[in-house]
Amino acid sequence: MANNLSKMRNLGISAHIDSGKTTLTERILYYCQKIHAIHEVKGKDGVGATMDSMDLERERGITIASAATNVSWKDYDINIIDTPGHVDFTIEVERALRVLDGAILVLCSVGGVQSQSITVDRQLKRYNVPRLAFVNKCDRSGANPFRVKDQLREKLGHNAVMVEIPIGLEDKLEGVVDLVTMKAVYFDGKSGDDIRIEEIPADLVNQAKEYRDIMLDAVSMYSDELAEAYLEGTETVPQIKDAIRKGTLSLDLTPVFCGSAYKNKGIQLLLDGVVDYLPNPSEVDYHALDLDNNEAKVPIKPSDTEPCICLAFKLEDGQYGQLTYIRVYQGSIKKGIELTNSRNGRRFKVGRLIRMHANSTEDIDYAGCGDIVALFGVDCASGDTFTENGMNYAMSTMFVPEPVISLAIKPKDKKSADNLSKALNRFTKEDPTFRTFVDQESNETVIRGMGELHLEIYIERMKREYKIELDTGMPQVAYRETVTQAARFDYTHKKQTGGSGQFGRVAGIMEPNADKNYEFVDNIKGGVIPNEYIPSCDKGFKQCVPKGKIIGFPIVGVKLTIDDGSFHPVDSSDIAFQQAAIGAFWQAVEKAKPEILEPIMKVSVEGPTEFQGNILGSINQRRGIIMSTTEEQNFTRVDAEVPLSEMFGYSTVLRSLTQGKAEFTMEFSKYAKVPNALADELKKKFEEKKKLDAKK
Amino acid sequence: MIRKELNTRSPLRILEKSTHGGVGKGNIGVIAARKGVGKTACLVHIATDKLFQEKHVIHVSFSTDTNHIVAWYEDIFEEISKRYKLDGAMDVHNDITRNRVIMNFLQDSVVADQVNKSIKSMIKDGNFSADSVIIDGYDFSKVTKEEFARFKKMAEELQIEVWFSVTLPKEGEAFDSKGIPLLLSQHYNNMSIVIVLEPRDTYVQFKLVKDHDVVPVDNMHLKLDPQILLIAEDA
Repeated sequence: MANNLSKMRNLGISAHIDSGKTTLTERILYYCQKIHAIHEVKGKDGVGATMDSMDLERERGITIASAATNVSWKDYDINIIDTPGHVDFTIEVERALRVLDGAILVLCSVGGVQSQSITVDRQLKRYNVPRLAFVNKCDRSGANPFRVKDQLREKLGHNAVMVEIPIGLEDKLEGVVDLVTMKAVYFDGKSGDDIRIEEIPADLVNQAKEYRDIMLDAVSMYSDELAEAYLEGTETVPQIKDAIRKGTLSLDLTPVFCGSAYKNKGIQLLLDGVVDYLPNPSEVDYHALDLDNNEAKVPIKPSDTEPCICLAFKLEDGQYGQLTYIRVYQGSIKKGIELTNSRNGRRFKVGRLIRMHANSTEDIDYAGCGDIVALFGVDCASGDTFTENGMNYAMSTMFVPEPVISLAIKPKDKKSADNLSKALNRFTKEDPTFRTFVDQESNETVIRGMGELHLEIYIERMKREYKIELDTGMPQVAYRETVTQAARFDYTHKKQTGGSGQFGRVAGIMEPNADKNYEFVDNIKGGVIPNEYIPSCDKGFKQCVPKGKIIGFPIVGVKLTIDDGSFHPVDSSDIAFQQAAIGAFWQAVEKAKPEILEPIMKVSVEGPTEFQGNILGSINQRRGIIMSTTEEQNFTRVDAEVPLSEMFGYSTVLRSLTQGKAEFTMEFSKYAKVPNALADELKKKFEEKKKLDAKK
Repeated sequence: MIRKELNTRSPLRILEKSTHGGVGKGNIGVIAARKGVGKTACLVHIATDKLFQEKHVIHVSFSTDTNHIVAWYEDIFEEISKRYKLDGAMDVHNDITRNRVIMNFLQDSVVADQVNKSIKSMIKDGNFSADSVIIDGYDFSKVTKEEFARFKKMAEELQIEVWFSVTLPKEGEAFDSKGIPLLLSQHYNNMSIVIVLEPRDTYVQFKLVKDHDVVPVDNMHLKLDPQILLIAEDA
């Protein structure tokens, strides 16, 4: 059975936290008849929404891991990827975005475009994902979908056009007017299943006409046929839909839908919008990278008959082993075929093939091009590409940010220690921004990630899912060390202990390097250091980089050029030159004005204008630099750059400063020099720790 | 060229010379012109000149997007550093962006008092010791005498220099006998310097129509070069 690509949609639902994304997903599942009753997110009935499969998510009312699920709407197949809303989990969001062809951007009709919506929108733009906007919560007091549409234009630069207007707002929300068909649509019955289509209420006719004209003006840009028909007043529904679709696919137009997921209003029309306006897998240009040809871009042919290329975008530990979510980009996947993991060349046979519905699964034999399914029992990491017929292709590498925060953890007993390694193994495979290592000196396990909440969630999961009892240290910022001026080095390593000795001399220059973290240049003339020992020098330098001498953090931004040296025919060796390079490195660092760098975060705080002073003050107290403020209505957004080390516990502080009415997002921006006073403090602490470790 | 030398050679020294030391703390200066003549370019150049002198500047705008204003600053900075072959341009750039804050108001009908309040909040709560405030794009057709007086009061209270841009009507722009745009006559006493930009064939001429309490000089010898959008000497 081959897939009919034009009847398939891979859909993501992206949103600001608390804008009702999970509720919306739940309703979509309900109307597509995948589930038979509706559960609310916060789990009043003790069941919780179907997509939030982890206990923890249910408890906090947020979605952490993205689950994929397959539904049918009319005769279309829709794969829905539920994406987390919190910025600390952006890698999850970004990974999900990678495999989507289109998305619904959910916005709250009261809160509008908030700082997180901006982050999420930027991610959609990065992956060129066409989108529809859904203005949710139109039943809330203060709802104003028209203002949200304006914000989409102003704050996000979208060419946003209403394709529906609400009938009544707040507690009087009854339904919507579809501006394409010019009909009023009501959603009757307990769960809004019964759709009643009627004429537009008299008091809304003028408003509907006005917004229809605005919509037609905007969308006729994308279709000459419609433009002509519109001039003559003979435009038809298919013509309008075709134009909206063209505009949406060109990433230029954002059709705006409205309704209320909670009150079951407007969801079916949104689903119609998904099939009418979002692309099918063959309408998106995808490229693979040819690993045999310097990662040259190769276009992918969306056809079932081509050799298979698929991407593992998410791993999950199921009851029966590892579950790998994949998207098939080219060809098809059948039970029993052999695939190669292009990262490590490992081959494997496709065993169980599964279609997912949050917590339940369905065994299948075949998945066609464009589909999203899951494999059982494949050993791989997230982001791996699988290919058929020995093609050495990879789907483009995903952008993985470096972790900026770390935390030491210590299991309380033997059993916990055993489980800990299991948990860490799984989490690091699932989430490339979550890393772990064992500190050689303190012998502690250290976990690293993208923010405080990111690590907190993993610690919670360790406790819940793996029953690990553990102690945690204080969060630690990932500092860096660097040099700020050029310095020459000339170091001789000489050792004479009975038998053959060690001799090597290395000379050259160390320079700051803005482009690369480490660079080694061989400028030796006339063989003063024999060729065979050049790599030894490189090796020696490299050994020094992971741990600087100021506060023990990695050294970045150095370029080392060797241009002189000497050797001894008998006593010189690989080890001798490595030692000489190490000596030379530290000799140079001392002269090259070393400095400490700290991660600086781009912080965006948003809240009512009455708290502007408090917000500005809180940024100022945290060594922040205010870049800009934006005031609109009664809301102010403050954009600033603040050192990460000052941001610990900021959410609590902000909450108490603003009666819980402000919120913030942060993202890594750059590394910058630590002020002298703080650098001295860090040095002192490092010295004390060294002494303490020495005593142990 | 080093930063210090660049400052002494800046064309804005000419502006200060012909206006008895410039606007000065506690005072208001105004640049008036029709739409699209180059008010923003002038104000951003004035602000950048202050930043080069290690002064702190608040830029108030009423645009839809702050990136647009940042881009203005980037362009003007690049133009200046290129023209004067500035030494260590990257360091100077990092240095001066810390001393600049952009305050953007999205509302069309934002009230003067709210702008006032927010600027004070930035200076006090944000601990941003501003020397100059640039207010670009404020709708003067709606500003009452009392509102403008409160801006003057704020300038005096906080000891800052305030620059406004004023958009003159396209058609039938009218001036009084002193050459002051009629739009501004009611604020006469609260303005220290008023410059009108007059577009000529290939450049934009600066015309000083108010200079504190003295008679303004006939020719400021300043123009706006429309090619690079910088203020330049008009020899």
